[in-house]
Amino acid sequence: MRRTALGLAAVAALGWPLVAPKYLVFLGTLVAVNAVVAIGLNLLSGYTNQLSFGHAGFLAIGAYVAALVTLQVPALPVPLTLLVAGLATALVGLALGIPCLRLEGLYLAMATLAFGFVVTEAITNLDWLTRGNDGLRVPLARLGPWTLDTDAARYYLAVAVAAAMILAALNVAATRTGRAFLAIRTSEIAAQASGINAAAYKTIAFVLSAFYTGVAGGLFAFVVGFLSPDAFDVFLSVDFLVMIILGGLGSVLGSVAGAAIVTVLNDSLAGFQAFRPLIFGAIMIICMLFMPGGLAAMTRRKS
Amino acid sequence: MTGAALAHVVVSGLATGCIYALVALSLVIVYNATRTLNFAQGEMLMVSAFVAWSAQRAAGLPLLLAFACGVAAGGVLAYVVERVVIRRALSATHWDVLIITLGLSLMLRAGAGMVWTNDELPFPSLFSNRPVSFGPVKIAPVSLGIIGASLVLMLALVMLFRATRFGRAMRAVAQNQNAARLMGISVERVYSGAWVLAAVVGAVGGVLFAPVTFLSTKMGLIAINGFTAAVLGGFGSMPGAVVGGMLLGVIENLAPLYLPTGIRYSVPFLVMIAILLARPRGLFGRVERRKV
Repeated sequence: MRRTALGLAAVAALGWPLVAPKYLVFLGTLVAVNAVVAIGLNLLSGYTNQLSFGHAGFLAIGAYVAALVTLQVPALPVPLTLLVAGLATALVGLALGIPCLRLEGLYLAMATLAFGFVVTEAITNLDWLTRGNDGLRVPLARLGPWTLDTDAARYYLAVAVAAAMILAALNVAATRTGRAFLAIRTSEIAAQASGINAAAYKTIAFVLSAFYTGVAGGLFAFVVGFLSPDAFDVFLSVDFLVMIILGGLGSVLGSVAGAAIVTVLNDSLAGFQAFRPLIFGAIMIICMLFMPGGLAAMTRRKS
Repeated sequence: MTGAALAHVVVSGLATGCIYALVALSLVIVYNATRTLNFAQGEMLMVSAFVAWSAQRAAGLPLLLAFACGVAAGGVLAYVVERVVIRRALSATHWDVLIITLGLSLMLRAGAGMVWTNDELPFPSLFSNRPVSFGPVKIAPVSLGIIGASLVLMLALVMLFRATRFGRAMRAVAQNQNAARLMGISVERVYSGAWVLAAVVGAVGGVLFAPVTFLSTKMGLIAINGFTAAVLGGFGSMPGAVVGGMLLGVIENLAPLYLPTGIRYSVPFLVMIAILLARPRGLFGRVERRKV
């Protein structure tokens, strides 16, 4: 049952550019990118209960690193560029995660919020490197002899990366590390009493989450083709939170579903900008009041 | 920089700091009663300021009365929000309530944009903007007005918490909810009361602040500075919130004189990160013990 569903999803994902119009292929690419961010955020917030309001900052770092690396070394194959973007962001995640071990709950949320603001301000002010508010044009991604210059090519790149990241996250969730994450989420002190090194696992979650978001940032750079700091404001971080709240905290596939719904909703509301936050705010409140655990909890069998 | 010019910068910093202090106080009042952070506090004071603007513009009320309308509207809004939304989530974790208030802040901001406008509006002030000379020092009356009004309000809060039954009930709930309930205090009533009181304090900050910047739906972002101020003083401590607010206002006004202009807008955030990393309990905070 689960296997056939996954198979159908894979076929649908692969066939999408063949049947869908160009714009919807682009939208599908965005869904894949956002799914990777949502999983990354969920590993941190859903699995270890460390609320982050600053993931747009991680995304920005990944995107700018990928763009700048490609500008310097145009021939670098895309997977390597994405890896560099992910690792650079993971390093920032480590640098932020270790001091943040001392913080929890709303303190951590506010520290990450401040981190997000500082990142965009830094991008604006380091204009010799990032071109600041003028924005940075991202060169086309290269993979050996191919240049990924069509929407379909970028779609397949994003979907392939997303699929690999989803599988990896599912595996992480099923291991000792994943169980340790969930134990920390339920009760940090009880987890520690059971011999789980909470500080180490919380740091791992931070680094892993930053890595995912950095890779997604690299994809985002190639997909959108143009970066400017105002694209990474705090409201983007809030969008990511809506994705995992709707999809389900502590669920990998829920994150994907949440990312898909929020991305499509975001796009269909493009003509009604004023209503967008109204609807997203309502989703957050309704999920918290009436369906904690999000979509993932609704599909889970009751035992 | 001469001493007189420095004094001018410090006084206007103190004025901004008073607003931060009021916002910080409103966050702390809700936090002490319900142990949650109200993310929508900034948007609630923004709505109050818009109501005051409408009362003065559309209804033609005198300025002071319009301000009172705005503040009262803030209180009513807080009461409704607490009863309709927050009360349902009382048993939920604080995490959940934080997300709910975040959702609320998005909705209030979007709603205000629809009802009023997303543009920036000039806001009438009680005090003049033209500097008055005190010897060599030039000071804008609006700064003194803000400082004076804030101090009066803070004094009123001290009286409320020290000398009234409701204030004592709030302090009891902040200390120990179960014990307070056993002593016959209605904890639910304290929750509503805290939300309303916080909204009123925030709204006064809002109508004082709106003339200095502009009236806009973005005004709610001041809550971030309010939070920084509260953390600076030690989150949960009311005197800490006041001192933290003043300190943040002065730092923010002095920083551009000594630092490159680029980091000017990051100052509150850098202060927040610095204080969270170096001393999360702030200047006057206590360490709270966690329980399983």
